[in-house]
Amino acid sequence: MSLRSSRNIKFVDSDILVIGGGFGGCGAAYESRYWGRNLKITLVEKANIERSGAVAHGLSAINCYMGMQWGENQPADFVRYARGDLMGLVREDLIFDIARHVDATVHKFEEWGLPIMKDPETGRYLREGKWQVMIHGESYKPIIAEAARKSASEVHNRIMVTHLLMDKVRPNRVAGAVGFNVRDGSFYVFRAKAVIVAAGGGSHIFKPRSVGEGAGRTWYAPWSSASAYGLVLRAGAKMIQMENRVVLARFKDGYGPVGAWSLLLKAITTNAYGDNYEAARFDEIKSLVGKYAETKPMPTCLRNHAMLQEIKAGKGPIYMQTQKVLDTKEKEEIGWEDLLDMTVGQAVVWASQNIDPKEKPSELTTSEPYVMGSHATCSGAWASGPEDCAPTDYQWGYNRMTTVEGLFGAGDTIGGSAHKFSSGSFTEGRIAGKSAVKYVMELAGNLPQVDEAQVKMLEETIFKPLENFEVGRNEIVAGSVAPGYISPLQGLQRLEKIMDEYAGGIGTFYVTSEPMLNRGIELLSMLKEDLDHIGAEDIHQLQRAWELNHRVWTSEAVLRHTLYRQETRWPGYYYRGDYPKLNDAEWHAFTASQYDAKTGEWHMSKLPVHHIIE
Amino acid sequence: MFTNPFTPLAPFVSPAVLQGYIVLMALAVAIGTVFDLLHEKKLTFFMQERKRAKAAAKLQLSATDMVAIATRTLVHDVATFGEFCNRHRRISHVLMFYGFVLYLITTIVMVCIYPADTHTPVVLPILWNIGVLITLVGGYWFFFFLRVNVVHDGQPPWRLVRADLFIVTLLASVTFALLLAVVEMAENSSATKVFASLYLFFTTLLFVSVPWSKFAHMFYKPVVAFQRRVEEADGSSDLPTPTTKGGERCPHSRT
Amino acid sequence: MPTFTYMTRCDGCGECVDICPSDIMHIDPVYRRSYNIEPNFCWECYACVKACPQHAIDVRGYADFAPLGHSVRVLREEASGTISWKIRYRDGRVKEFTFPIRTTPWGSIKPPTEYAAPDANALNSQLLAHEPAALGVENLPTLPVLGKKEV
Repeated sequence: MSLRSSRNIKFVDSDILVIGGGFGGCGAAYESRYWGRNLKITLVEKANIERSGAVAHGLSAINCYMGMQWGENQPADFVRYARGDLMGLVREDLIFDIARHVDATVHKFEEWGLPIMKDPETGRYLREGKWQVMIHGESYKPIIAEAARKSASEVHNRIMVTHLLMDKVRPNRVAGAVGFNVRDGSFYVFRAKAVIVAAGGGSHIFKPRSVGEGAGRTWYAPWSSASAYGLVLRAGAKMIQMENRVVLARFKDGYGPVGAWSLLLKAITTNAYGDNYEAARFDEIKSLVGKYAETKPMPTCLRNHAMLQEIKAGKGPIYMQTQKVLDTKEKEEIGWEDLLDMTVGQAVVWASQNIDPKEKPSELTTSEPYVMGSHATCSGAWASGPEDCAPTDYQWGYNRMTTVEGLFGAGDTIGGSAHKFSSGSFTEGRIAGKSAVKYVMELAGNLPQVDEAQVKMLEETIFKPLENFEVGRNEIVAGSVAPGYISPLQGLQRLEKIMDEYAGGIGTFYVTSEPMLNRGIELLSMLKEDLDHIGAEDIHQLQRAWELNHRVWTSEAVLRHTLYRQETRWPGYYYRGDYPKLNDAEWHAFTASQYDAKTGEWHMSKLPVHHIIE
Repeated sequence: MFTNPFTPLAPFVSPAVLQGYIVLMALAVAIGTVFDLLHEKKLTFFMQERKRAKAAAKLQLSATDMVAIATRTLVHDVATFGEFCNRHRRISHVLMFYGFVLYLITTIVMVCIYPADTHTPVVLPILWNIGVLITLVGGYWFFFFLRVNVVHDGQPPWRLVRADLFIVTLLASVTFALLLAVVEMAENSSATKVFASLYLFFTTLLFVSVPWSKFAHMFYKPVVAFQRRVEEADGSSDLPTPTTKGGERCPHSRT
Repeated sequence: MPTFTYMTRCDGCGECVDICPSDIMHIDPVYRRSYNIEPNFCWECYACVKACPQHAIDVRGYADFAPLGHSVRVLREEASGTISWKIRYRDGRVKEFTFPIRTTPWGSIKPPTEYAAPDANALNSQLLAHEPAALGVENLPTLPVLGKKEV
């Protein structure tokens, strides 16, 4: 046996385990400490919470802030807005719940030191748009990380969690998690009374537009490895809306943000000939989605759709006419700060291509699809809602608890609560944190027990890719081609090609159909089997191997949900070639799936969409 | 212990040979460094960079300016290893450097001026031993506890890579110097022969491996530090201007 | 545009290895200095660039789409709470910007335990920490849903 049988094993026992140190996880740590003064709260993160997650660069705006203190917006209005953007299909209770708390979160951020821009005339936060305020957010994450470090009992950086552990005694209850240290390879067993999963959503599910070095410049962080879904769905949590992937219209290649440019600076988007094409395409859009075409503001997917149609008609490239709005030094600074605070790569594109936004327009494009729950779309786990306003069938336990007992979620993890962004994800983390404290306090002596046999088996499974490489490597002289294993990158490239070609990626202009999806599922199942033969050369590659694993499982959910929904609900995000129109009569519902680990079966169903706000 | 450690070597390695050896080793370092600079076009690159920086200079620095910058480099970056932000790394390098220099100077004095003379002023071997001990304290501390690939990249300390060539040969050479001095106390001539051979072997390895180890970087670093200060002063640096005078460089600890 | 480390500037301190969210800054075995092991997983988040005390890390735009000859360099000054950028275009023009990054001293956040401990009523309510005061309004909004409890 190799030297690895003397592997270091570490046990960490907690009351509350928070998996993921991004905005959701940091919010959970802060709030659970506030309510659980004497609880052991452990935060575990595969990178370093100082800069981990989607807000690694920083951000230039907070996109979810009501401004109730100034009578600017009410939570119910925000629900209407998000519902409109998602063509009617959202968890109104969850969104209302976030919208009513988020202002407090933002005020605390300001108190902690986040510089929020002020309107010189009113003294209020400077609005980028109806729901967005501008911030000097380069250090947004370090500030939040400081709050998390002052809250958690222990912060474990560089530990990748690969699986959740289930209770040995009670079925469908979580008992902890396992993972490994990405620096020294030790095996970690986390035992906890409650688990909050606040890991990342899915980038690199679909083939990105740039495939060389440029594969790193996905719109959503390349380290968002869909662990939010990969962890919880395998534990049997019911998932919803996994077909609701998001496509973003952003500056081309750099994927820089367009929010401040279009909302605050009021730059317009045209085709290559300077025509404003959106208005011209209204009738065509209405023929697809009916009354939803009249939603104001126009839903994001429909704006994408208009752009795609324009490009397909050969009227591209699409341009944002930045040069028409930068008439003052102040505006130029706002425009540049928008990029530098959150997507420096776009500044690099401009510098490298000699594009000065004061002089030249900039190309826009639609991105490859992403699967997430914290941004404009809402894939994720089905969660119990707030006790005071959730409809009865949306509430079975503690707020933000999934269908697995003791398993909570926040941020990308939770489905149905769209348009959270950073402040909303932190807020949802807070909600889950408080709920988890209540749950733990009410558990009394009835504690979950970790199954030793399961832990032993998982230890072997987790480190197997290292063994695969070490042994299989002996078959070849050198190089990356071995008959016995594939590298995590090779597996990822196969996954991205499958999803791109069969599940509606850029390669098909986001179109898919039943025969395509079935073929995709067929190919994905072979990839799933090949996951047993991933060869990891070192601990870093082992991390990549498990990121691939979470992505593959998530992709299966995406394929199945996309197949199940027989309509095109969000043209511009994706299209069912066989069901090209929106069909409210049959599909004004959430798609739901539940994976049974014992039988390996996926059970699909519909869940009702309740409108609690008119 | 406080006798000339090189005197007992005289029966089998004559003082003249030892003196010649010192000259050879100095040559090995010089030739090794020149080889390192030339064979992969390092020097070409340095010169290219200097030309580029000169062309990008916003203002001309006077000779006085240059002297001031050189002095600052010498005092801050070289003499006190001020470039290091991590206190432990800084101290260990200070120990290794000054320890080794002390040991080197006293070695040269003893070998060249008091070769077979048993009336070496006692201060010399004392300083020699101090130099050896300081080098070893700094060196082993660095080797086991401070190497970045061990501390930050999760590697076990006994995993050796090419970057370890300098520190390992340095530690081996100086460790055997100490062991030689210890063995000499027993006054056993065969034991002395064995340890002297090992000492000379590792010392040779240290100086002869210059083209492949990080030894030469000891010379490059001050030059680069000087160049960096020049670029900051003459405006050819492509870094943004600091908002505070002199800027802040070392990150503070995260609370 | 992925990162790279300047040979002459890096002194192997490991700050970049510690901070990289993608786990791609590691130590080279020949020089014991840092380098980017996986540019195709580099988001150009600039975390390592900002963290490097020697300004030894820089970015060269992704070769897929960024022509050569540009640079975007940054100086993050925690003590003064600012971030400064110097952008040099391929055609030579230069733009410089400075923005604030924090309004309070580093380490000054009040831990949640320093607030008065909440009572059981608060725990059973819908209120989160510091509410309703932190909301800026008198009451936490709820929905006038039939038959539901008040906040």
